[in-house]
Amino acid sequence: MNTNIIEGIVLLALVLALYIVYFFRGDRKKLVDASKKSGKMFIQNSVRLFAIFVIIAILEKFLSPKSVSQFLLKFKGFTGIIVGALTGAIMMAPAATSYPIGQYLLSHNASYSLVAAFLFTWVGIGVVALPLEFKFLGKKFTLLRNSFTFIAAILIALLMGVLL
Amino acid sequence: MKNILKDWAIEIVILLIAIVLAVFNPSKVSSALLSATKTYLNLIIVLVAVVLLSSFISATIPKQTIGKIIGKQSGLKGMLIGAIFGTLMVGPAYMFYPFFKELRDKGAGANIIATTIGAWAIKAPWIPFAITVLGWKFTLLFNGLIFVFAILSGFFVGAFFKE
Repeated sequence: MNTNIIEGIVLLALVLALYIVYFFRGDRKKLVDASKKSGKMFIQNSVRLFAIFVIIAILEKFLSPKSVSQFLLKFKGFTGIIVGALTGAIMMAPAATSYPIGQYLLSHNASYSLVAAFLFTWVGIGVVALPLEFKFLGKKFTLLRNSFTFIAAILIALLMGVLL
Repeated sequence: MKNILKDWAIEIVILLIAIVLAVFNPSKVSSALLSATKTYLNLIIVLVAVVLLSSFISATIPKQTIGKIIGKQSGLKGMLIGAIFGTLMVGPAYMFYPFFKELRDKGAGANIIATTIGAWAIKAPWIPFAITVLGWKFTLLFNGLIFVFAILSGFFVGAFFKE
């Protein structure tokens, strides 16, 4: 079964347990407020997330794993790390999708560094989700966090290259 | 009206992109819509949980409590809590942004949230699979470095926020 569904069920069970405990121990009026707020938040975030999912799905239709790997295999050395990091930042599919691509790249003589940079920004930076981060966490936070992550991607890539 | 447009600017732009692409390549766009719907349905339970948890925290937990546990001053201890939480979670980090915003409004430090999002790049449940595909050396070193990065990211981002 899909890990997201399993995670969802576990999380939801924990949250519902919180609600139940609070129902008997705490201020029930506050729970009513929480439920009301939840309804509104659910609708708003459904629309926002669905829009992001649409863009991700469109990207997926145009960037197949095969074309992405063949593109990355053209680059070597430091340029390879940068191109790998930039490409990973654009990719937005679940992490599990990225591992076989990494394996394919490694088996075709791509460097550990390039693969590490690519796999790291794949999960660490999502260009498509940046507007959401802007909206919820602020411009300053988003810019600082993502530029640090990009620099870290290059450092991690170099370190992996040295250590492996 | 102007506020609504501003608030939903991203979604409107995405809608326009989808419409333009649909004119040129309707089959690709319709299959993209189908796959977006599938993703949404896969994640809807996570979304319900995130929303219920955010509003629960907002309605019931006093600001000082959050500030004490994961306020900026909680430092490394708070960051470790965030890093462990981020490591255990799978699914996209951006689904939890509304939750992080709620925590920020309640006094959680920018350093803690940055570390949490950083550690989100570690997908603990996927590590066994990653090992079979990429080898244990690559996978363990990679995830170890991400964990260190997540903590450093907290220090870096935190340095720019006073609160």
